Amino acid sequence: MTDLLQPHSGNFAALTGFQLNGLAEGPIHGTTVIAVKYKDGVLTVGDRRATGGMAIMYDKAEKVLSLDDYTLISISGSFSKAIELVRYLRMAFKYYERSQLQPMSLDGKLNELGKLIAGNMMAAMQGIGLVIPILTTFDTKKNEGRVFFYDGGGARFETAEYAAAGSGSTQIRGAFEYIGRTKGPFREMDRDTALREVLTLLEIAADLDAATGGAAKYLPLAKTITADGIADIEEDVLRSIVKTTLAAEPAMVQG
Amino acid sequence: MSYNFYDFNNALQQRNEYVEDRLRDGSPVVGLSYDGGMLLLSLKHSQRKVYEIYDKLMLGAMGKQSDIESIRLAAIDAAHREGFQRSEDDVSVQRLVGFGLSPAVKRVYNDNNTIPLTFRGLFAELNATPADDLYFTLGYDGEFRNTKRYAVVAGTTYASEQAEESLKDAHLGNLEDTVKAALRAWGIARTQLAPLPEKLDEDGEEITLPPTPEEILKTAFEDGMSVEAAILDRHTKRESRFRLLRADEIPAL
Repeated sequence: MTDLLQPHSGNFAALTGFQLNGLAEGPIHGTTVIAVKYKDGVLTVGDRRATGGMAIMYDKAEKVLSLDDYTLISISGSFSKAIELVRYLRMAFKYYERSQLQPMSLDGKLNELGKLIAGNMMAAMQGIGLVIPILTTFDTKKNEGRVFFYDGGGARFETAEYAAAGSGSTQIRGAFEYIGRTKGPFREMDRDTALREVLTLLEIAADLDAATGGAAKYLPLAKTITADGIADIEEDVLRSIVKTTLAAEPAMVQG
Repeated sequence: MSYNFYDFNNALQQRNEYVEDRLRDGSPVVGLSYDGGMLLLSLKHSQRKVYEIYDKLMLGAMGKQSDIESIRLAAIDAAHREGFQRSEDDVSVQRLVGFGLSPAVKRVYNDNNTIPLTFRGLFAELNATPADDLYFTLGYDGEFRNTKRYAVVAGTTYASEQAEESLKDAHLGNLEDTVKAALRAWGIARTQLAPLPEKLDEDGEEITLPPTPEEILKTAFEDGMSVEAAILDRHTKRESRFRLLRADEIPAL
């Protein structure tokens, strides 16, 4: 029979011939993304800056992107590869569900992402095109939010509380622990309390890392995943919290 | 051995008969647009009848399950390959059925060494308004036709025409009325396979009228059939516009 009547049984890579390491490395990099669990699920925020070497290339980058109704991926590192990776995964998950008449399992989705990162490792070891994503999801079977991160080789780790990736993440790692030990665990906080802590951390990252954008120019991107799915946090909520987390007023005005 | 015109004609006729016989008693599929989206509806015993193909495409089909499967998967593969390599916006029912599936199905039909596909399918493409929604019906011989707002595939051409006639004046706002209209159309498509004789029979007795759509639906439910209906939602915020309807969304007639 014809080519058209020979199906690919749910294998999207075989269907499209996609390879992440075959993609060219663009000069633009995304910077800091943070995910924490909170009482009702998971909260994910990212700054809006994308840099190319020493230059700020873009101040309205979206680094927290949805893969399906319950899964977000937060990207840092090579922007071109990350965007293509997200596009691939979104369609691969849909392709699987439509052709196989059942959704891909959470473990299947996590492995798919790990395989792509591992496939890209040779390029990443040469210092180009490293993508380090955080994957957040609401596990409808366990009825709880879950946070996963990957290393450059595709190894997957699940965290109990928080994850951060990107150039500003190392500067703030200790602060997560400090908050957890002094103010109680993130997973017991309500949304706005957790949001306040996380936006403060992002602001600290912006202060200590040249590549991370603060909230002064553009509001960060913040999304939650709960049993009801993904939701954007309203801009006025973000704005009112950001006002209090910014380091008071600029020093020049203070005199 | 020579192959004359008679053989050729005869072979085609036999192939058509083979398929038509098997499709005749199949469960029709009704497609109908309303303000909130588009609906495909059928009745089934156990096998699925209505499927998601792509972001704004779905398929309802009658025929052999194995043949439906191969066309369904071919459609999904072609749509996803195109959508990834170009853009989601470039996947259209016109291109998918007209240039992809129809020639492939026709090649199978034309090949005298294969059994033709027992398949009659209805592809639905969601657009901005009900008036713009597209329906493509694809037959076992590769022939296709397109309509707007509504379409029916059934056991015979006459049956689908009768059912479509009943949908002609439907201006539908809500899902419940749409499902009701589609159920009635399914009943018509299921019973009116051929025109009724016009006169009373020779003895002057009245001919037996076929059951009404309501009666045929009642019988179908008693036989253990259940409604399978899916929508493509025009206004949803979910990733997927396609959704199978729940049992409580199917109104009783």
